[in-house]
Amino acid sequence: MSEKGLSISVDRESQSLSLESEKISIEVENLDLYYGAKQALNKINMLIPENRVTAFIGPSGCGKSTLLRCFNRMNDLIDIVRVEGKMTLHGDDIYSKSMDISALRRSVGMVFQKPNPFPKSIYENVCYGLRLQGITNKNTLDEAVEWALKGAGLWEEVKDRLDENALGMSGGQQQRLCIARAIAIKPKVLLLDEPTSALDPISTLAIEELIFELKKDFTILIVTHNMQQAARVSDYTAFMYMGDLIEYTDTDSLFTNPQVKRTEDYITGRYG
Amino acid sequence: MKEWFNKGEHWIWMSSAMVSISVVLVIGLMGMITYKGGIHFWPHAVYEVHLDQNGQKETIVGELHDEKTGHATDPISGVETPVDQYLFKVGNRDVYGIDFRWVNSNVLDGGVDKLSKDVLVVERYEYGNVYGHLISAKLGEKTLNNQNDLLALINQQVDKSTEIRSQIRHIEKIEIGKVNYEIEQLRFEEKKLRLKNEFTPEDAARIDEERSLLQTQFKEFQKQTAVLYKQLNGFGSITVEISGGQKLTIPLKKIVSLWQPNNMNFIEKIGFFGHSVKSFLLDDPREANTEGGVFPAMIGTITMVLLMTIFVTPMGVIAAIYMSEYAKDGFMLRIVRISINNLAGVPSIVFGIFGLGFFVYILGGSIDELFYDYALPSPTFGTPGLLWAALTMALLTLPVVIVSTEEGLSRIPRSLREGGLALGATKFETIMKIVLPMATPAIMTGLILAIARAAGEVAPLMLVGVVKLAPELPVDSIAPFLHLDRKFMHLGFHIYDVGFQSPNVEASQPLLYATSLLLVIIIVGLNIGAISIRNRLREKYKALEH
Repeated sequence: MSEKGLSISVDRESQSLSLESEKISIEVENLDLYYGAKQALNKINMLIPENRVTAFIGPSGCGKSTLLRCFNRMNDLIDIVRVEGKMTLHGDDIYSKSMDISALRRSVGMVFQKPNPFPKSIYENVCYGLRLQGITNKNTLDEAVEWALKGAGLWEEVKDRLDENALGMSGGQQQRLCIARAIAIKPKVLLLDEPTSALDPISTLAIEELIFELKKDFTILIVTHNMQQAARVSDYTAFMYMGDLIEYTDTDSLFTNPQVKRTEDYITGRYG
Repeated sequence: MKEWFNKGEHWIWMSSAMVSISVVLVIGLMGMITYKGGIHFWPHAVYEVHLDQNGQKETIVGELHDEKTGHATDPISGVETPVDQYLFKVGNRDVYGIDFRWVNSNVLDGGVDKLSKDVLVVERYEYGNVYGHLISAKLGEKTLNNQNDLLALINQQVDKSTEIRSQIRHIEKIEIGKVNYEIEQLRFEEKKLRLKNEFTPEDAARIDEERSLLQTQFKEFQKQTAVLYKQLNGFGSITVEISGGQKLTIPLKKIVSLWQPNNMNFIEKIGFFGHSVKSFLLDDPREANTEGGVFPAMIGTITMVLLMTIFVTPMGVIAAIYMSEYAKDGFMLRIVRISINNLAGVPSIVFGIFGLGFFVYILGGSIDELFYDYALPSPTFGTPGLLWAALTMALLTLPVVIVSTEEGLSRIPRSLREGGLALGATKFETIMKIVLPMATPAIMTGLILAIARAAGEVAPLMLVGVVKLAPELPVDSIAPFLHLDRKFMHLGFHIYDVGFQSPNVEASQPLLYATSLLLVIIIVGLNIGAISIRNRLREKYKALEH
């Protein structure tokens, strides 16, 4: 997908960033992940800063999506997956036995590669997570839906047809609806798993602008195949290869001055 | 030629030929049932033919039902010659003993073409139809001869007597039925108290009082019916000259309806057709099921099928959810799947025997011992009945529902389940709120197949609850309205019974086709209902099927 012709209106913050001065949201310590006997992630160590956008790049099969799905324990769904090591969210161990997975997923929201709205009305889609928590007050729900849809930049487009089936929307709208659905329950962290890979350039632009807005309220982790996108939207970028975290630093440094040869090869397009 | 074969044209031709054969068979079968069932309701022309058999002259009045080419043997030379034979329905079973008669064309004096306008057909509650000429009528005390509006007058009276008949029926079946039911309940109450050793003289007095009250009611109803019966007898009678010059007097109270088929125009015939369809659908069967309607069988079939649906849906869906969502994939699950598929291939009579042994005797027997011990030794649930029939059918159709539900569940995209889980829903919440609603079209497909199978099945039902003639409907106006313990009638069994167990096969043949047609219409109707629900659901979830 070529986006070179698009002008991105996102203003990058010009001040230099460094992990040392950031407030840390998630800590990952010696994380190993196995698919049965095969190891998919090797001793990952990283600190995810709060209210920043952290991008994961790397060639297919490098483990970036697998790592992303560790943050809300989505990998638990696969029987053969085994995770070792430590991962904490604001000090709470995500993989401890006492962790309530539902509560974890309420504070770590996720948006998937392909838009996956439920076959319900737009309104019901957004308030689904709230209804799960037992909220039935009409005013509360109305306010939350409006807030989430505004947050996802969708309110103006759909405010007159909240009762229509969400499946009747365009792909880009559906993906923004999924973002609205995820932020409606006010998570702390938002995981985006290649959120624009199934979308056209215009929708992609809309979502990228949205990510920029959302980082004021949420810690955002984004997996992307598209290096330009990572460069455009993220504050920090992690390059992964074959299950290893090769290089992780602020985005500008990674793209302008990569420290590892393999990173340089990848971002200059020698492979991947 | 070789090129033609390589293109695979012959396969295309063969498959289209197979499709055509199936379509032709289905259309042919449906056409035959519809035609033969339809003419049952159409007023047949009544012919008057004269026979001359070696000087013996005879007149036959009747409907022409069949023609074929048979062989007549010359009594002198012994030579067989082909001859046309006609089957006449001559009716008057009380006089001739049989309804139908084959007539060889070589004894016919004249052809089969005489349709005298004034031939009268009288349908009676007993002994079938009467064919003849109306001579006179005694309406009340007046004897009337050939007036122009005589038939209309008689019809009026017949309508009145039918009205009184239905009043009697209402009192006997519903009012007296209710009193009987309550008396029975009192008897049970007394027995229950006696079993618990709590039967006090006060109870005895109270029960006796209630009982005598009910008995007074009962006598009151009896008095009412006696009056009505007397009225019925006062309607008078008609006299008809049947073939052979015999005169037959028919009391009006025995007449269902009477008409002059040869005197009807097309509109009247359509009216008659509608009327016969209505009475076929809404009347009780008469004369060992060979005449009258099929109302109880129709109600029995529909009730049983709906009840079966209520049982099989949760059973099948829950089993399918467990197997496709929770059970660990492995050897055990494969064995279970194979067993379920094989269950679909078990002969239905085996299910019937299982139902009789397990549901009726073991389950029903235990229920009787636990809850209906006061009624023993007469069984309540320990005998074939609606509940056990519906459960047996549910078991029979369970594999279809499980398989199609599982199919539906496995087609729901993973991304949707993940979407639910990622919002903090538990697995159970995701299944109940997202996955299951989307699998409803597939569940409906399973139910459609189940309904088609259950409504047409007869063999197992004969063991677990269907009877030739049920005195009461399984649904009525006495609480609890749906009587799960009652035996019921079923259209499929009705077809078997009328077609193969009836003493009068020729007479019941048209009824057989009509009943088959009705059964097919009911199955198609239930299916169309289910299909339209399914299509609506599909429309709702359509955009997801990429």
